[in-house]
Amino acid sequence: MQAKLPLKVRLKRMTPRQMALFGVLACVFIWFIMACMVLPILNLLKTVFFEGGTLSLDSFQKLFKSPRAMKALTNSFILAPTLSITVGFVGISLVLITEYFDIKGSAILRLGYMTTLIYGGVTLVSGYKFIYSDNGVLTNLMSSVFPNMDKTWFTGYWAVLFVMTFSCTSNHMIFLRNAMRAVDFQTVEAARNMGASQWTILRRVVLPVLLPSLFAVTILTFITGLCAMSAPLLVGGKEFQTINPMIQQFAEMTTTSAKSLAATLSLILGLATMILLAILTAIERRGHYMSVSKVKTKIVKQKINNPVVNVLVHIYAWALFVIYVIPVVLIVLFSFSDSAHIQQRQLDFSTFSLRNYGELLSKTTAYRPFLVSIIYSALAAVIVGALVIVACRYIQKRRNSLSATALEYSLMIPWLLPSTMIALSLLLAFNQPRWYMFNKPLIATLQLLLIGYVIIKLPFTMRMTKAAFFSLDNALEDASKNLGASGLYTFRRVIFPVLLPTVMAIAALNFNGLLTDYDLSVFLHHPANPTLGVKIKSLTEEMGNSSDGVALTFVYAVLMMIISAIVLYLVYGRGGKDNIKE
Amino acid sequence: MIRLNDIEVRFGDFTALRDINIHVEEGQFYTFLGPSGCGKTTTLRTITGFIEPAKGTVIVKGKDITHVPVERRNIGMVFQNYALFPTMSVYENIAFGLRVKKVNKTDIDRRVKEMAQKVDLTEQQLMRKVAELSGGQQQRVAIARALVNNPEIICLDEPLSNLDAKLRVQLREELKEMQSRFGITTVYVTHDQEEALTLSDCIAVFNKGFIEQIGTPNEIYSQSKTEFVCNFIGDINRLKEDFIRQIAQKTGRGLDPAKATYVRLERIHVNDGARPNAASFEARVAGREYFGLYIKYQLEVGSQTLKCIVKNDGASYFQVNDKVTVAIDPDDLMVY
Repeated sequence: MQAKLPLKVRLKRMTPRQMALFGVLACVFIWFIMACMVLPILNLLKTVFFEGGTLSLDSFQKLFKSPRAMKALTNSFILAPTLSITVGFVGISLVLITEYFDIKGSAILRLGYMTTLIYGGVTLVSGYKFIYSDNGVLTNLMSSVFPNMDKTWFTGYWAVLFVMTFSCTSNHMIFLRNAMRAVDFQTVEAARNMGASQWTILRRVVLPVLLPSLFAVTILTFITGLCAMSAPLLVGGKEFQTINPMIQQFAEMTTTSAKSLAATLSLILGLATMILLAILTAIERRGHYMSVSKVKTKIVKQKINNPVVNVLVHIYAWALFVIYVIPVVLIVLFSFSDSAHIQQRQLDFSTFSLRNYGELLSKTTAYRPFLVSIIYSALAAVIVGALVIVACRYIQKRRNSLSATALEYSLMIPWLLPSTMIALSLLLAFNQPRWYMFNKPLIATLQLLLIGYVIIKLPFTMRMTKAAFFSLDNALEDASKNLGASGLYTFRRVIFPVLLPTVMAIAALNFNGLLTDYDLSVFLHHPANPTLGVKIKSLTEEMGNSSDGVALTFVYAVLMMIISAIVLYLVYGRGGKDNIKE
Repeated sequence: MIRLNDIEVRFGDFTALRDINIHVEEGQFYTFLGPSGCGKTTTLRTITGFIEPAKGTVIVKGKDITHVPVERRNIGMVFQNYALFPTMSVYENIAFGLRVKKVNKTDIDRRVKEMAQKVDLTEQQLMRKVAELSGGQQQRVAIARALVNNPEIICLDEPLSNLDAKLRVQLREELKEMQSRFGITTVYVTHDQEEALTLSDCIAVFNKGFIEQIGTPNEIYSQSKTEFVCNFIGDINRLKEDFIRQIAQKTGRGLDPAKATYVRLERIHVNDGARPNAASFEARVAGREYFGLYIKYQLEVGSQTLKCIVKNDGASYFQVNDKVTVAIDPDDLMVY
């Protein structure tokens, strides 16, 4: 506990150099928050509510009259709850299989289930499409057995639900698995000692401990379902489009009314997200069940006593493994294959070569999106990291002050808003010169996407970095000052080096997340410089026509997986275990 | 050397310290003792400058430093958890303050090595990361880091509280030995009364933001000024009114049974022969705890239970329900 001096006294005691630095940083933050977040969002609200220059709800009326938009809304609100159920079921089973039950080969199973961590978004959907679509590997295989089957079966709601069910289990594999690992095994032993059956122990002792985490990941899944983009775009077909693809379509139209429809849809999405996040925060506030045990013991894997159930669970576990792993394996294998074999979906090891990889390196059109994404992601990761470190330092120093609270909440704004809404707000705000952006329109500039990337990564970076700052031992700073060091020197020599591993880890995760971004890039990318996500999406759409494009998609996917795996290894793997905690 | 005059510290509406007046002499080992939350660390942090008092002055060597920032006070500090910089080696930790002062490299090297030698750290240990050191070694690094800047005062905030019992006793001795070797004025914060009594030249006992008593260890222990001090330091018996009356009757001393009256365990004499000024009672041994060096007995004299200790000299070892004679000298009673 320390008595805080009022801001006035602090300012008075500052040297001119400190004062100048403080002034510059304050201006940068105020400008960034206002010009890049607050004003564009206000502008978006204006588009919705002041369509004709006066306050009206015309946009909503138009929305209700538009069958396409209403269909998309309905679809999203069908997808989100059903997805929460399917992902919840699969997610819980993954955790039980890898952490609770004694399943043969669980280490391999775990690796398979974790593939979504290195392979997601538009890349994953393109992989699934390659296997299950009308000319897909599996579809061809099945039609040879059932010649009368509908080869276009993999489209619409069920296809979207299937793809997303298996691609959205990453949160379960991280958060729910951690919660399972935190279960005190002595409680399981105590229940068994009192005569409880395996099923009772699971239902009454283990699952209740997981419940808060389960609620949290379910809400995150619900939001993912609402904001679905690449899956409905690539496998939803005409009859199953959701809100986000619809926003994108409307935004691409030139009419004001289409733009206002897009803004209205994004506002609805934003409101739904806010409500869900409010529920999530309430759940988080209630807290997690903390083990009261002083000598907590690790879970010992439970062998399933009933032999029939044991066999069934093993079959189920390995079937899931196949679903998770097949797209990854096929993508890796086909990335070495030639166009003709890709076209026919036939694997012939004799035709394997590094030609596709060579082409990626030699053709500008091929490596450019890759390079563009790498540069954007790296730049955004560094900028967002730097901004947040400065902000967190201020928040830490001026804890509980009005300015610190305002700064913190402002930087968390993007957490409440779906990325489509952020993208659209930037798009609508900067399609004309604005005084707060120095009178320069940003449409079709390189800066626009960078601003977007920085904004969407702010909340995650804030939460992680702030946690790191607040877990710092205050005595370190006191000790440094006691030895005569100034605040800036202390930050540079003592605080920053301690935080560095965490900061690097967060930057790596941000880099990873942005590398294949599609949702934001599709709105904000520079026309001559499409990002990897945009490129993969367009190549996947051509899947039926051009096999060269497909080969390139696979090469991209393999390289992405390698990069992601390296990043995850560095962050969570050996040597980086203490850097970041989920 | 250090004078705290009428210090008052507030955290929002809460007054953490009030009317703190302390005078630390040069070269003294001065201890702030009290339970957690009593204000001892707050007082220490007011001296080091981490806290600015709402009222009062901090004077060091006649100079008012109340508003001088921490980094310009040159008062060394050893933190409870040592606060060693984890990203730096032992050497870099010790050299930190000298680097801040922009001392030249050769001097830094010389002074770090000299200091390391004084606190028994080898050159090899200097190159290690702080996490690789044991608790005792870490404490020595923290002391070296504080002393290498030649501070006039060193403040230690419960530096032994994180250590196991045996190491605590060992380092306590080392600390005292180092302090007398360096002759540096030391302000020490602890909640451990044994530590305070063994180390200090002078002790200030804190309670709820006030100072209850200032004195030498013997004054604090044997002539506790307040009921709080006598209860906080050492184990003690509170006597019942009826028992006080009996003592008064047997010794002819005017004792007021209405007042809180205490007697320390070691001042109760068991089967110790005739004591002319003492009141003697027949007692029953109701229980005992064996400590090796001594035995702690619980005795019953009517409705009064008395705890006492008897040196384990081999001569007397009582069983439960044995009858014994206890003697209490009214001069040993502490009355409030």
